Amino acid sequence: MEIERGDGRSPNQLRPLACSSSILHRAHGSASWVQGETKVLAAVYGPKAGTKKNENPQKASIEIIWKPKTGQIGKVEKEYEMILKKTLESICIRTIYPNTTISVIVQASFLLPCAINASCAALVDAGIPLKHLAVAICCSVTDSGCIMLDPTKGEEEKMKAFAYLVFPNAIVSVLPERSLQAGSEPMTHGIMTSVTQGAMSVDDYLHCLERGRAASARLSEILRKNIGPKSTSGASKAG
Amino acid sequence: MEQRLANSWRMPINDIKFIETALLSDLRVDGRRPFDHRKLTIKLAKEDGSAEVHLGHTHVMAFVTAQLLRPYRDRPNEGSLSIFTEFSPMADPSFEPARPADAAVELGRVIDRGLRESRAIDTESLCVLSGKLVWSIRVDIHILDNAGNLVDAANIAALASLLTFRRPECSLSGDDGQEVVVHPPEHRDPIPLIIHHLPIAVTFGFFSNENLLVIDPTHQEERVMTGRMTATVNSNGDVCAIQKAGGEGVSQSVIMHCLKLAHTKATDITTKIRDAVEIHNNERALRKIKRHSSSVAVDVCGAVIGLGEQNQLDGSHLENLKLKEEENFMECEATPSGQVQSKDQVSKDFVGGPSSWDPYSECVNSDLLKASLASRGPSVPSKQKDSRRETKPKEPPQEIKTDSSPIDNALTAGQNNEGKTLKDAVKPKHKRKKKVSSNSEN
Repeated sequence: MEIERGDGRSPNQLRPLACSSSILHRAHGSASWVQGETKVLAAVYGPKAGTKKNENPQKASIEIIWKPKTGQIGKVEKEYEMILKKTLESICIRTIYPNTTISVIVQASFLLPCAINASCAALVDAGIPLKHLAVAICCSVTDSGCIMLDPTKGEEEKMKAFAYLVFPNAIVSVLPERSLQAGSEPMTHGIMTSVTQGAMSVDDYLHCLERGRAASARLSEILRKNIGPKSTSGASKAG
Repeated sequence: MEQRLANSWRMPINDIKFIETALLSDLRVDGRRPFDHRKLTIKLAKEDGSAEVHLGHTHVMAFVTAQLLRPYRDRPNEGSLSIFTEFSPMADPSFEPARPADAAVELGRVIDRGLRESRAIDTESLCVLSGKLVWSIRVDIHILDNAGNLVDAANIAALASLLTFRRPECSLSGDDGQEVVVHPPEHRDPIPLIIHHLPIAVTFGFFSNENLLVIDPTHQEERVMTGRMTATVNSNGDVCAIQKAGGEGVSQSVIMHCLKLAHTKATDITTKIRDAVEIHNNERALRKIKRHSSSVAVDVCGAVIGLGEQNQLDGSHLENLKLKEEENFMECEATPSGQVQSKDQVSKDFVGGPSSWDPYSECVNSDLLKASLASRGPSVPSKQKDSRRETKPKEPPQEIKTDSSPIDNALTAGQNNEGKTLKDAVKPKHKRKKKVSSNSEN
């Protein structure tokens, strides 16, 4: 059943995406992710020496600073910081630089998936070693049980429930015979992070997962294209 | 967070000596001469009151918002202006997220003094009800990238955003004239602030050698220099503010020389700001004309992205539009990487988005545009189709402004025309193009 969306998209259609990296001069890595009208800017500094008190000094720790465009920092921002931190911790190879801190600063108003995509691109731009990339998408369930991808803020508020899903991105390997299986399933079938809000049935959730996975393929294309090797990088940004 | 000593970056002595020695021969590290500014780019967003400034690599954004509040007790007839600066940690590794650094507070005060105490912004016009309600203007300055000389860049951003800011119009009503009605922008046009003059801040850097003086220092030069002075002057030659907080002592003749230099620089920068604001205002006026005739913003001279550009444009053209501006409306952008649904979008777009089938997206003669929009606006579908086929007569612009048919009409009209318009629109496109080229330029 076709649901009419405010901007005329079909339920499976994403907003136009754009990603660009190395936009800030002082930051070690930076990226911006534009999805429709939402623009998120992420900057990475690191690895810096020292860790916070409660962190494990045997591994690199990731510090997230989430800055909303307007308004004060409240509980929602703190929650987003925590989710982002856990997500990025699972993709970084933390044992390479023990007792250091990687700071990720995100300037965004909402839309956690955009921020995750932007921070992932910024981490690559900064040269932090990662296990694999992460691709995030938001799926929402309408009252009638229809699944819609990538809702805008206005649409999100009207939904019965929505879920932010983060999928690991498949490793594109030069060696063709290298298998991408982890166990018996391909790696991209895993989920890294899932944050849901509202009540939805189990079937709806599984549908969301499927749709989200399909859409994440396109997102990862865009991500890869923009963080590909650049021709000549500028002077070293360390310091 | 405990202080991490290893992160306080100190500049190597080699670099310090190099910068100073180069300055002795009037050379700067980035190739400028001592009194040159870096390249200044001012980008004004589509929304009113938002500006983005690039001064070399320094990147600053400013937003202006307004609120109705009680006035100060000792000034019941004046509105207020407040500046909030935010040094984002992404701008510089030494910026702490929590407490504002001294430099942040100083920057806010310098800009505040330049704008408010020099009476650049007319605060008396912000009064609505004396003693009870006045407009309080708030400028938020976000520093995104610190490559030196934040004061100048932030000042320009604040000025540009204040020049483009529009506050809602409000009127008094009620029995005793004490009720204030704030008109939303759709009913009455918001009005700009009254700005008497533009105070421009110019920052100078002094070095240990008395004869060395630079304008617009980069962040490496800021580490090396021993004193700094910010002079806020306007293009009339009035000195609005001078800030020299500590640092090495400088002789009076040098200060006078600096002020004269600042005057010339201020006139340059003022013209740049005014040019950028004028371009923005022209675009805004064009957008408003289209809004009145219940049609959609059209891409004019590549600077404004329109809604619902359909598949008459080829993909490469859309790509160009995409790269030009980042704030996009959703339907019109088919990104190169992927939205295969651009063709499918057409039929679906008419359901949700406003109707537009305007087939051209290049620079358009504004008169012709008004004429075409007028003929499109209030008509019945069939009439629309016919009128489009003929070459349009030029109608006076007043017709546009009085035309107030709601967007819904246009929507349904667009929908009905869907089957016919797309093909038909292509033909008149060529006719109109010839007409455009034969017309004199705006």
